[in-house]
Amino acid sequence: MSETLLDIKNLHVWFKVYGGVLKVLNGVNFNVKFGEKVGLVGEAGCGKTTTMKALLRVLPNLALIPEGDIFVRGKNILKLNSRELADLRGRGLSMIFQDPTSALNPVFTIGQQLYDIIKYSAGSSGQKVANKKNVALSALHEARLPDPERMLDSYPIQLSGGMRQRVCIASAIATARDLLIADEPTTNLDVTIQDQVLRLIGDLVEKKGASLILITHSLGLAREITERVYVMYAGNMIEMAATSLLFKKPFHPYTQGLLASVPRLSGGGFAEGIPGRIPDYRNPPPGCRFEPRCQYAFEPCSKAMPPYIDVGDGHQVACYLYQNGQEDRKNA
Amino acid sequence: MTTEGMLTSSSLKNPWGRTLYSLKRTWYKFSRNWLSVLGLVIVVTIVFLAVFAPYVAPYPQHAGKFVDFKGKNQPPSWQHLMGTDTIGRDILSRIIFAFRNALLMAIVVLAVSVPLGTLTGLTAGYYSGTWTDTVIMRVTDVFISIPPIILALSIAAVLKPTLMNSMIAVTVSWWPWYTRMTYSLASSIKNEYYVQAAELTGASKIYILFHEILPNCSSSLFTKMALDVGWVTLVGAALSFVGLGEQPPKPALGTMIAEGVERMPAQWWIALFPALAIMFVVLGFNLFGDGIRDALSPEEA
Amino acid sequence: MPDVMDINNNILVAENLVKHFPINQSGIFKKKWIAVKAVDGINFSVKQGECFGLVGESGSGKSTTAYMTVGMYAPTSGSLVFKGEDIARPAVKRPMHLKKDIQIVFQDPGSSLNPMRNIQNILEMPLRVHNMIKKGDSIEKKVIDLLDRVELPSHYRFKSPITLGGGERQMVAIARALATKPSFMVLDEPTSALDVSVQGKIINRLIRLQKEFGLTYLFITHDLSLMRNVATRIAIMYLGKIAEFASANEFFQKPLHPYTQMLLSSIPILFEEEAKLKPNKIHSVGEIPSPVDVPPGCSFNTRCPFKTDICFVEDPVMREIEPEHYARCHNI
Repeated sequence: MSETLLDIKNLHVWFKVYGGVLKVLNGVNFNVKFGEKVGLVGEAGCGKTTTMKALLRVLPNLALIPEGDIFVRGKNILKLNSRELADLRGRGLSMIFQDPTSALNPVFTIGQQLYDIIKYSAGSSGQKVANKKNVALSALHEARLPDPERMLDSYPIQLSGGMRQRVCIASAIATARDLLIADEPTTNLDVTIQDQVLRLIGDLVEKKGASLILITHSLGLAREITERVYVMYAGNMIEMAATSLLFKKPFHPYTQGLLASVPRLSGGGFAEGIPGRIPDYRNPPPGCRFEPRCQYAFEPCSKAMPPYIDVGDGHQVACYLYQNGQEDRKNA
Repeated sequence: MTTEGMLTSSSLKNPWGRTLYSLKRTWYKFSRNWLSVLGLVIVVTIVFLAVFAPYVAPYPQHAGKFVDFKGKNQPPSWQHLMGTDTIGRDILSRIIFAFRNALLMAIVVLAVSVPLGTLTGLTAGYYSGTWTDTVIMRVTDVFISIPPIILALSIAAVLKPTLMNSMIAVTVSWWPWYTRMTYSLASSIKNEYYVQAAELTGASKIYILFHEILPNCSSSLFTKMALDVGWVTLVGAALSFVGLGEQPPKPALGTMIAEGVERMPAQWWIALFPALAIMFVVLGFNLFGDGIRDALSPEEA
Repeated sequence: MPDVMDINNNILVAENLVKHFPINQSGIFKKKWIAVKAVDGINFSVKQGECFGLVGESGSGKSTTAYMTVGMYAPTSGSLVFKGEDIARPAVKRPMHLKKDIQIVFQDPGSSLNPMRNIQNILEMPLRVHNMIKKGDSIEKKVIDLLDRVELPSHYRFKSPITLGGGERQMVAIARALATKPSFMVLDEPTSALDVSVQGKIINRLIRLQKEFGLTYLFITHDLSLMRNVATRIAIMYLGKIAEFASANEFFQKPLHPYTQMLLSSIPILFEEEAKLKPNKIHSVGEIPSPVDVPPGCSFNTRCPFKTDICFVEDPVMREIEPEHYARCHNI
């Protein structure tokens, strides 16, 4: 237990809206060990951002958590009050967002924003930071930004997208001790810069011995720097494995469909993708949420959500096909 | 993540089904805040009173030429729920009739300001950066800088002080605010891709202004209109307080307050109830306006 | 008007196309105007019936080129000829038959459809503008036909775009473009804002529509794996100039320009077999210059790992290195 930094158990999150309740998260299980790099892969609307928001306790007011627990370093954070929470946040959890342009305030210089972050995160852990400037400069330097001195006096609008994202990384690294959450950090960047930024995140996380959660819809990116990957669909983690295993042999039909939809560098046209749409969260399917779109669905699939089944080497799938060796159904 | 809610494909095909669904959904968004519903109740009450004044007011004849010196300055009682004024007229009835004038003024002012202001604002916004924009907006600036009360006084000095003249004065100083609002909306909407798509296909400018840009201004417009009924009433009361607007013996909220101010604090009811009535109107339309804004706000995906 | 194509069957020919955007950097005392060289002299031609791919990162000028074709911008200089007719002017100055014949599908379906109108109105607009409804025809029927062509159910015409998923919205945008029976369609990153599982469906439909209606596509994307499966000929742009131009097979099997190689080597891939198809890893060294401040000589000299002295002095010209395979580099 002591080597687990984050453990989300059976998390359910609902949103109250017109005409009912959106049952978005349906029993999410997700854990991260100290110093581990984990990927969370899923498409739009699968609930990955909701999971992170629940973890950071920034869900909107109309959200409720009817069931489930989130343990950070062994403490159940859903039961903390706001002071204890602020303490926890300051001490080592930071996040990089998808759009660096809106994550940085355009009317303040980079230096001012970094100083604020450093001051805030240090203050809540009871330490005084004497020389904010040095901390800021070393963070910018670690983020491989050119001319850190001049950068401190620049405004975000003077920088390119890639540089802004690296500034966000610098600010996250300056304060992260235990966990860095990167939410689609390279979506708005060019491919060659994506490469640079991703490697930077990976290197810095390793250097600090921190853990990383990389949230993305791009399977290729997840493959580049993570050790373990979760695949999420419609509010459930439907598959989890070590990165190399997952891409070599995906088990869940959704994962297989997803991998088949990615265009190949070798040419040969496109797969048709996965038919259907994500379920209506107001009225989700009673059993496995992928069942309406699954070509291998059979009777237990519509009755109840399948449990996690271990298919060897720590590879887990939530699919009835693998219960009692039913795999031959796929070839039937 | 998108959801269809209770809309099925069959109910979509039926035009009544569609209308009913969107009405229900709008009501849901409106009624989430109980204050908005309170505002709606107040607004409906005021409109009802104004429309049916002769049948609802306890003493309808008091709203015209009527004197009863025996019954003057009576405090509130069961016969006169809000008391009587200096010449014996029932204050409650006069307030109900005064609502008529207040609403009439609001309707007239908005009926002219909204189309005029919206048209000029749309045009200036769509052509922003060109001479059209400059000309329209500078003219608007001139009108915005005219204070309504001074204008009304000037008009009254030249012509007779009547309700019509004060309505003209308020309208003249009101429409430029709609121009400003529509201008800022239109100049940002025109850069949206759906407007570009329409332009590139060759749609006419009229089509783009009225079918692509205007619908996206509608929520701000309707909200402002609802709020404005309250504000016009307030300005109208200010005008009638200084003797412009509806002339006595016709009842007007501001005039009634003016009459009652001299009698304070002994006959406090003569000034207080009309003042509360004004507050009632402004508050009601403000809350209602907030509700309209929520109801017309775009759906969240 | 008969289709006028030249002997090479080119439907669109661009020669020395230039687009500079002036930016006012005047201070109080001195006037200073600088030009953002978005497109700085490009030559290309698109054959009737093909899918011409334009690849590049942000700031490369690919979107500007597409927008000039459609008429959103007027070129600063150079010529752009479509079916023998000069189209180097903005859409407002173009005759209606050109606006009918050249259509565009934008990248973000969320903002290319008016959220306050329903699908019926959106699809009616081009039909009405070009008087495509004759007496006795029902406009409803035409709209249902259009929806049918993109395989959307007919009752969707009552919906507003907000209630549709991203893929469906994009299909509506495609239907709108098809409404005027164009012969040339510009597709500006049509699937970049969509999930991978939907991408295949959209692209396959686009390919089918192309065959069915004899359309010519100008396809823009930054995703090279996507391009591999869609385009017949590809041009890659960097800072406003075309760096390399070849048929799809040649482009991917034998990339000549260092930038092409860099781009190809940065693509995140999923499968071992694909890794062999990529050129060896070329890491980007240095920063992307801003289009305002293009360095003298070859514009790629800040990042090129193969630069030599001449690269700082002289801007290379486009040469035919192999049959139908052009590149702009001193060192090939």
